[in-house]
Amino acid sequence: MIDELTSLLSRKDIEWELYWGKGRSGSFGIERENLERSQRKFYSGIGLRIGYKGKLGFSYITGLSHDRQTLERFVERTIKLARVSEVPFRGFPVPSKVLKVGGLYDRRIDEIPFEEAHAMALEVASLMRSVKAGGETLSGSLSFAVSSEGVVNSNGVELETRTTGMGVYIYAVRGTGTGSFQQTYRSLQPMEELEKGIAEARTNAELGRKAKRLDPFRRELVLEPEAFESILWLFLENVFGDTVYYRRSRFSERGLEVGSEGLGLEDDSTIDGLPGSYPFDGEGSPGQRTTIVEDGILRSFLLDYTFASFLGMESTGNALRSFRSVPRIGTSNIVVGTGDLNLEDFEGVVVKDTLGAHTANPVSGDFSLTVSLGYVVRKGELRPFRDNMLSGNIFELLKTLKPGKKAERRGSFISPRVLVEASLV
Amino acid sequence: MELFRFAERLAERYGIDYYEIRLMKVSSTRLSMENGQLDELSQNGETGIGVRAFNGAWGFSSANDMKRAEKAVETAFKIARLSRGEARIYLGDPVEEEAEIKTRKPFTDVDISDKLSLLREIDGLLKGTPSRSVSYADSLVETLYVNSLGSEIRTRVPRIGLRFSVTVRGNGDMQTYWKTFGGTLGWELVEGIDLPHWASLVEEKALQLLKARSPPSGEFEVIMDPELTGVFIHEALGHAVEADLVKNGDSILAGRLGERVAVEELTVVDDPTLPGKFGSYIYDDEGVKAARVEVIKGGILRTYLNDRETSVYFGLEPNGHARAQSYAHQPLVRMGNTYVEKGSWGFEEMLEEVRDGLYMVGDKGGQVDTAGGTFTFGAKEGYLIRNGEIGEMVRDVALSGKTLEVLGRIRAIGRDVRIEFPGYCGKGQSVPVDDGGPHVLTRALVGGTR
Repeated sequence: MIDELTSLLSRKDIEWELYWGKGRSGSFGIERENLERSQRKFYSGIGLRIGYKGKLGFSYITGLSHDRQTLERFVERTIKLARVSEVPFRGFPVPSKVLKVGGLYDRRIDEIPFEEAHAMALEVASLMRSVKAGGETLSGSLSFAVSSEGVVNSNGVELETRTTGMGVYIYAVRGTGTGSFQQTYRSLQPMEELEKGIAEARTNAELGRKAKRLDPFRRELVLEPEAFESILWLFLENVFGDTVYYRRSRFSERGLEVGSEGLGLEDDSTIDGLPGSYPFDGEGSPGQRTTIVEDGILRSFLLDYTFASFLGMESTGNALRSFRSVPRIGTSNIVVGTGDLNLEDFEGVVVKDTLGAHTANPVSGDFSLTVSLGYVVRKGELRPFRDNMLSGNIFELLKTLKPGKKAERRGSFISPRVLVEASLV
Repeated sequence: MELFRFAERLAERYGIDYYEIRLMKVSSTRLSMENGQLDELSQNGETGIGVRAFNGAWGFSSANDMKRAEKAVETAFKIARLSRGEARIYLGDPVEEEAEIKTRKPFTDVDISDKLSLLREIDGLLKGTPSRSVSYADSLVETLYVNSLGSEIRTRVPRIGLRFSVTVRGNGDMQTYWKTFGGTLGWELVEGIDLPHWASLVEEKALQLLKARSPPSGEFEVIMDPELTGVFIHEALGHAVEADLVKNGDSILAGRLGERVAVEELTVVDDPTLPGKFGSYIYDDEGVKAARVEVIKGGILRTYLNDRETSVYFGLEPNGHARAQSYAHQPLVRMGNTYVEKGSWGFEEMLEEVRDGLYMVGDKGGQVDTAGGTFTFGAKEGYLIRNGEIGEMVRDVALSGKTLEVLGRIRAIGRDVRIEFPGYCGKGQSVPVDDGGPHVLTRALVGGTR
């Protein structure tokens, strides 16, 4: 059907781009250690962007098996939208070399029979029942997905990719303490990984149960990757090309000092096997490694084709989308640079996770988040705390940052522990 | 319809006790304008099917290619047959009804060029600010819900939303302010807004925030305005009374039905039947009629918001709070329009009670740890209160507290209820909600940078 649509569009005097997607997913919800909700979903569709006399029209259609008449109506509707639209059209990418990114597809996930995936979820539920302590509740989910996506445009771009994914979520409640483990993968994971997740969620719930509020203080503390990720997005919003172009960013130019000498930040969609990786983005621009911050200096914004063109720059391959939407600038994998500090044995206050990150203000950079779990480490002993507010300003905080040695991955965020100055209220 | 006959035959063959099918058609329009430049203009339609089958546990399947509709039915049934659990669900009597939320001026009758003119008008009103944003969205959701009991429910629910914001800079700093309108209404929502008033208010507030200092830190007496009361009651209490979370041990209010959990003056309601509100609906996504629910009355926890499964689990009356983001999502227990009922206090009387505290206005979103009972949320602006007088404005104020402590420390509930603060609530799925209440005086932890 894509070929039929392509030939239909080629006969019109317009610029066009098709973004299509097709896939299925299976997921399994475990409640109170019992498998209670299983599902299998199918989706497919095509997004069509049309450039007409400098203006852009967009429309989508669900399904990939339409007759010619439906396809013609779809094309006409999108052309009509381009005619009334005043959205500026800056062209589509031209073909360029797209490198293969390894480890994004695992045949075992693609071909796993539903019954087998279901049995795996039952095994997780049974594992939960065997380890749970009195007064403890364990829940969670397992999910598997396979998807194919492609971009074709009037400049000759014609790309297609097939990827797989697996997600694990474990949630433990022990009295008023809660703990979770969340991770995403491109390949099928062994039961040991799930056991590790259950153990981690349970440990955190037990720490949470014992945790009390700390006395307020302001000094150096360590942020674990989860806590750092929840406030780093305040900074990242400021490096998106659309935010810069629309003057909602703190930054209008590159080369500024935005952090300590130890701060390095990359967006990298080319790392093998990671959930945020892709060979090409939602407009067919190649994926790449982009240095956002190097030695504390802002080196690049994150851009798609349109906003790169508005700003007189090159796309960094950060157009994210589904067939239902036009491309929007987003991150792929965010990699925070490591340093020399050994923060694994850090003695002092460590914040593990926070609540309420989306209530903070990316424009002023001020944040006050509730600590959902942290601990004070003294002579190797760990005393948990929670319910304090972690307050500060992201732009000030980054100037005090010293990165640790060892990076950890949570989904598409890879970061070491970081030492920063902030207040606990 | 052939599909339903197919489902009936297959259910018999697979031994499925109960199933439900949702067929949905969504028509939507979105426009957004940034600094006078149109950023998005789209009109789309989508149809899809979601099928759920019960066999002591749920099997679900969905598709957006209607050629796969039978396959979706078959898949959901196969999963249910494979699943076999111990859970039970409320069945009730079959319902046959055709219902719609009627509007005075359907937005489907308004030409897209008029919608574009609206954006231009608002953009023009905000022109004093170089960085500004206006967005408009409407959607009409038509649902045909059918289940194995013989229910057949057709509903039409329109929803409209408008938002504008400005970002200002000065003194080496930046600030932003915005206003959101929305409801299960037609174009009359837009026509009823005093645009010049709201546009200048948004600009003024952003500029004032530039000069405002960060709030002090520590425990304070806090007066929340109706908008903040709304997010407070949604976050601090509403999520903790969602029966699916309670069932999973994930709520501070587990095992507390019938007990006093707040001051006697407090009554909290979730009412999806309020006309025109953003979180309103006629039937939930399990085909149960939406109902007004008094969650807390006179400080006593009366019930949990529930669905077909959790109402049986807790032995409660089913109250129609199962909602799904779309046909491709399974219903979860969700809120609709959540609010605090009016109390007996006037705002001035309340102010006089405060020696050293804060008046906090507007909602910037929040989050809650329902098991631990800790919540946090942000206010758009705040004001210091000294000896009953409102003073200096403060910015980027966030509040935190323990649900039960804060509910027990409420000292005054106002008479001035407003429920007009539309938004989306996330719980793995996003659904439209509204919330509100009157001014409320309590005590909580304020996080500031000074």
